[in-house]
Amino acid sequence: MKKVNNMSDLFERLNDLKVVFFYGQKFIPIIQSIIDFMSETVPLLEDINTSISDSTNKIPKAKDQIDNVTNATELATTEILDTVDLISAEIEKIENELKTIQTKEEERKMVWEQIRVVLNQNSNSAGLIERYETIESISIIIPRLLIVFSKTKNDVNNIALSLQVQDITSQQLASVNHLIESVRQRLASLVMHLDESDIKDIESIQTIIPDTAAFNPDAIYTKSREKQEAADILVNNRLNKTSQDEIDKLFS
Amino acid sequence: MKKVILVADDSPSIRKFVSFALAMKGFEIISVSDGMEALEKLPTKKVNLVITDLNMPNLDGFELIKAIRNNEEMKNIPIIILSSLAGSDEIQKGMEFGANSYLIKPFDPKRVVYEVSKYLN
Repeated sequence: MKKVNNMSDLFERLNDLKVVFFYGQKFIPIIQSIIDFMSETVPLLEDINTSISDSTNKIPKAKDQIDNVTNATELATTEILDTVDLISAEIEKIENELKTIQTKEEERKMVWEQIRVVLNQNSNSAGLIERYETIESISIIIPRLLIVFSKTKNDVNNIALSLQVQDITSQQLASVNHLIESVRQRLASLVMHLDESDIKDIESIQTIIPDTAAFNPDAIYTKSREKQEAADILVNNRLNKTSQDEIDKLFS
Repeated sequence: MKKVILVADDSPSIRKFVSFALAMKGFEIISVSDGMEALEKLPTKKVNLVITDLNMPNLDGFELIKAIRNNEEMKNIPIIILSSLAGSDEIQKGMEFGANSYLIKPFDPKRVVYEVSKYLN
């Protein structure tokens, strides 16, 4: 430290001291407000920490609930498919029975022709024959019934087709669960390292689905045949070595 | 004797649905939930055709196809992929691995019956 040699140096030092006090007085409220701010912020940070911790703890429950929804819809779909299966089997059985009746009806017709020849010899039976022949024959009703059953069978197939939506939604839900789990992991690490953690870290949540995932996050339910048609062209042209440009055009 | 088809899919509803479509046509269906189970089941029964999903736990469809094609006794079994993956990359990969057909979910049961009949009738 510089040595004070005379009074003028002394006054100079006192002046410096005065400046320090002057600034000190100015800084005190600022320091005070920083202390106030920190005393308000610390509980707030604790609140944030508690809140993140709460959210992190609730996430597994959300994940479980999504799994429960998937399992419940899967079970319901399987039960409906079981019923659809039974209905289809019954329809098939009825169709076969009707076809048997149809065959027997042809036989019955032939026998009836012979009976008619015999009955025609009796003049009293003419009215009865005429009346009998105006009654609608089974051979006309059965083809109509077979058309109805064929349509019903088609409708049942369509129900089964629509039920595939369950598989598609379960894949989408599995994808959501994957994202939820990634968020939970990031939040858990934030709770553990809140002091040194950079909030930007939250951006590093894994949204990329690993190749080994047992679900397709892009699965969509559509009755459009476009994708299958594009796949068919690709499969059929496989041996003809279709160019990549043509393939890209097909799938663009 | 009934022709045997092995269906590998981790979705019970899809397994049920494929069985529903094919059992009516007189085929015997064996259902498994992943590629690993399929590989365990295949040597135990004479399987005439395999229908497989691609995204499956434990062992996926690509690996299953590879394993079948690398096995001397099973390499000629026709394989149909049944997947919701509809990109050209997956289709090309599946065919390169040795699949015979590629069907996209949701699928028409009649189309499955048609594809199966192509190889089994």
